[in-house]
Amino acid sequence: MRFVFNFPDIGEGISEGKILQWYVEKGQQVEAGDALVQMETDKVVADIPSPRAGVIVARFGKEGETINVDDPLVEIEIEGVDGEEARDVAREKPRPKSEEQVEEKGFGVVGTLEVAGDAAHLPASDEGAPEPSARPERRRKALATPVARAMAREMGLDIDDIRGTGPGGRVTKDDIRKHHPAPAEPAATTVAAPRVEHEPLSQIRKAIARNMIQSKHNAAHMTVIDEVEISELIALRERYKAEFEAGSVKLTFLPFILKAVTKALQRHKSLNSEMDMDNNRMIYKKYYNIGIAVDAPDGLVVPVIRDVDRLSFMEIARQLAELAERARERKLSMDQLKDGTFTVTNYGALGGRFGIPVINYPQTAILGVGRIEKKPVVKDDQIVVGRTLPLSMSVDHRIVDGGEATRFLNDVMRFLADPASMLIL
Amino acid sequence: MNSSKTKPKRALLDEYGATSGKMLQILDYEGKVIQAERLPKLSPEEIVTAYKNMLYARTADQMAVSYQRQGRMYTYPPNFGQEAIGVAVGTVMRDEDWLVPAYRELSAWLAKGATMKDIFLYFGGHEDGSVLGSARNMLPSAVPIASQLPHAAGIGYALKYQGKKDIVFTFVGDGGTSQGDFHEALNFAGVWRAPVVFVIQNNQYAISHPRAHQTAAQSLAVKAEGYGIPGIQVDGNDYLAMVAAVQAADEHARSGEGPVLIEAVTYRRGAHTTSDDPGRYRTEEEEQKWAERDPLKRLKGYLLDHQLWDVAEEEPLISQYKKEIDQQFTEMENHPYELTDIFVHHYADMPDDLKQQMVAYEKFLNWKESQQ
Amino acid sequence: MNIMNMVQAVNDALDIMLAQDKNVLVFGEDVGVEGGVFRVTEGLQQKYGADRVFDTPLAESGIVGTAVGMCVAGLRPVVEMQFSGFVYPAFNQIISHVARMRNRTRGRYAIPMVIRMPYGGFIRAIEHHSESMEALFVHIPGLKVVIPSTPYDAKGLLISAIESDDPVIFMEPKRLYRAIKQEVPEGRITIPLGKAKVLAAGEHVTVVSYGALVREVQKAMSLAKKAGISVELIDLRTIYPIDRETIARSVQKTGRFLAVTEGPRTAGMGAELMSIVNEEAFLSLEAPPTRLAGFDTVPPLARGEHHYHHSPERIFYEIRKLAEY
Repeated sequence: MRFVFNFPDIGEGISEGKILQWYVEKGQQVEAGDALVQMETDKVVADIPSPRAGVIVARFGKEGETINVDDPLVEIEIEGVDGEEARDVAREKPRPKSEEQVEEKGFGVVGTLEVAGDAAHLPASDEGAPEPSARPERRRKALATPVARAMAREMGLDIDDIRGTGPGGRVTKDDIRKHHPAPAEPAATTVAAPRVEHEPLSQIRKAIARNMIQSKHNAAHMTVIDEVEISELIALRERYKAEFEAGSVKLTFLPFILKAVTKALQRHKSLNSEMDMDNNRMIYKKYYNIGIAVDAPDGLVVPVIRDVDRLSFMEIARQLAELAERARERKLSMDQLKDGTFTVTNYGALGGRFGIPVINYPQTAILGVGRIEKKPVVKDDQIVVGRTLPLSMSVDHRIVDGGEATRFLNDVMRFLADPASMLIL
Repeated sequence: MNSSKTKPKRALLDEYGATSGKMLQILDYEGKVIQAERLPKLSPEEIVTAYKNMLYARTADQMAVSYQRQGRMYTYPPNFGQEAIGVAVGTVMRDEDWLVPAYRELSAWLAKGATMKDIFLYFGGHEDGSVLGSARNMLPSAVPIASQLPHAAGIGYALKYQGKKDIVFTFVGDGGTSQGDFHEALNFAGVWRAPVVFVIQNNQYAISHPRAHQTAAQSLAVKAEGYGIPGIQVDGNDYLAMVAAVQAADEHARSGEGPVLIEAVTYRRGAHTTSDDPGRYRTEEEEQKWAERDPLKRLKGYLLDHQLWDVAEEEPLISQYKKEIDQQFTEMENHPYELTDIFVHHYADMPDDLKQQMVAYEKFLNWKESQQ
Repeated sequence: MNIMNMVQAVNDALDIMLAQDKNVLVFGEDVGVEGGVFRVTEGLQQKYGADRVFDTPLAESGIVGTAVGMCVAGLRPVVEMQFSGFVYPAFNQIISHVARMRNRTRGRYAIPMVIRMPYGGFIRAIEHHSESMEALFVHIPGLKVVIPSTPYDAKGLLISAIESDDPVIFMEPKRLYRAIKQEVPEGRITIPLGKAKVLAAGEHVTVVSYGALVREVQKAMSLAKKAGISVELIDLRTIYPIDRETIARSVQKTGRFLAVTEGPRTAGMGAELMSIVNEEAFLSLEAPPTRLAGFDTVPPLARGEHHYHHSPERIFYEIRKLAEY
């Protein structure tokens, strides 16, 4: 089959060459590598060898004539090769740019160097010109360790928004934990009645906010909910109410609840505990300071009754009353607010039934007490009027699992349903 | 003596040329002149001075070994027994000529203007010992063996290029002649006709390796043939023969004829360094044999023969030298070592990151101090 | 203004320095009569004479060692190692004397020598002609190491190197010798040693490279741009001393770092650059500092070298990993 062999780029990025002398005639048999023609370029005078063996069918260009790279040079008839293949062979594999193939003997150099074409060249360097990245300061980027950055990312916070209090202004993990986004801009007021009211945050409100977030962030809240039938307890209270009042103490259900809780805690130490991550340990408390959440005028406070296991019902009742009054008058001391090991929140007094209370961190559990209701209950397979007390207990699921929580609550309910068991068991 | 002065010096390099197999000797082992016609041109005062220089060098060398044994200085390579070679070079060398040493040519160092304090500083572990401020045109020690020889060739080229008439004297040991740099340096110097006098101190040992096993060549001087330069073998413990040889080489190089290779045959009477025990590889008999050929002994014999020396002068002279040398040693011991010197001399201007390292280290030192 | 490739730019720099300072000499193997195997020193011997531009016997240690002597005697030799793969016989002279003479003589003798050598691969060469071992020099205290990536920089850096009183190892990426043409001003221009250059400002990823790979990174940046990734490219230029400040400032802005180098990975320049990022910009990091280096292998010969030398795709691949970290 025939193919046309074009004038190749023999290196150095030449674009044309002058035919100096033909070495072959039409009809001549050539071997691969035989010199076909002598070409002159602006770099070298070179013989162009035949890429294949065959018979010269045609020559293109006369001696003295200048031709361009890729112009046809000769047409060769190759034996035993079919048409398509011949054309592929004829076409030189395209090179990215021209390449200078220099043998070791010639230039003394080895290898193949890429040679830039004449067409494109770079402009001179702008050495000494101000650097492109030297722009006026953009929004300051926060300094933070990779660990802190990961934490912020997890919490969905933009770390650049957080103020850093660490060394060198670094944003620490604590900074991230304590960060709360700035309040959104209130809508602009109009001339008519204002649609928005501003109130600066009080210390107590800020503290509550901080504590709530801290609790929710650290403890894995899990809540168990149940009801206990307390007709017996109600009857018991009726029996002694007058005697308490004689001592100027109002007897509510709370002392019984506190006692029941304390006795149950004695049996389930994990609910009277604290997880100490910093020191890699659990702290089990052998004392029982029960906090009572009180709805005070400017917010929630939790005064604590200490050593409930050692107090009589009378004493508990008395303290409850006193703490409640102090709370209302905002006269609670620091001592009366700290060292709680367990908290009871009695929203039942306000009419609530069930809830999902927030643990008073770093305690492990909180018991929410709802309002007592008259309800139909089943007793000895009969439907009777029962008096039920709703209980909602949240525990830190890192420390207390479902089984333990349920067992504890069952104990509390047992003590409340059958008050004598608190005495006997 | 006959008219040795009329014989052209070039004939010395011919007669005692590399392939002649002859070793130039003028004094026998007692200091008697055995070849008067080869006596170099030296005044009696010059010869006496030479003897005193050898005495000083030997005294200093012994004291250096002693200081090392006292734990006041670190590893030191004794020059004991090789004093004549350096003193002879010092006799011929001019002020502006370059000295490119190896590390065991104390008498040449001193001749060039280096002080014992410099040498004590170097072997006392202080870089200031390589500054050699009082020695013009001198490089410090070269620890990688023979690596100084190409330096000498390069200086030689520079001197020619600058149109100067000065030349270079450089030293190497018998072991060093096996190194590639010896070959390359002599080859370059030969091709360039650089004005370099290469002095091989063949003290018979490269640590424990005897000269006979260092090369199969019949001598070290004969290697000059391979580079197309003249070579001469001379008795290195014969001060007068050394001077004659060095003078001939000096003239050859300075006249633009190119480099010369001198093989000075001597003996390392001490150990390789103060950490070496020669008893492990040589005999007392051999050491005794070479003690008979000691350079100071022979020159003293010559001086006494010519009534140029009074033995009674020797003791007080040595005492005086000892005092001076000890003074130099004390100065070395009091010479401070500055922390910043570790950092500031690596570049013309200290790069920022090196500065950072220095500052960080200083911070640590401050903290350490505050803990006391 | 002339349009030059790197060979011509280096030749121009040598020409200017030979004219400017009588103490400058240029020598090495085949640099005089033939003008160098890459023609870098072409015409210089004819112009300045064989006592200033000359051919030496075939002995690399001798070339560097005699140059040490010349420096000590007040000259400024610019010596050539024909290929970086042949510098090893001269290593003793380089480590023991070139790098050390100033310090050990407390500044009395400086060595204002430049050792030039073509280096680097991807040119289908035979063995030993494709080395990229600049890290070996960087690890020697007392040397400076410079690698240009363009003709302009080659000229400016070489003139600065020759004028510097410190010894400079000047490594010319032979792959680029003829591959780039650039406008280069006539006459003396200098580029300060020790200063990297920000070639392109970017927001997301800092890439530091030098030599032949700068061009490949630039190609990778086009791919990155299509993917919405903005790359800040820094050409190191002086491999020692490293311009820590420029790198630090950049990573403090982007938080992501990639070093792209040719030579073997272990204890290579990538490791040093990552350490610098760690020391200077740790608190700004969004992703681990990363290095794209050659394999810990001898560079493969022509049939396999395309695996070894980073393509723009490979570089983009690493950039994207960083951006998506």
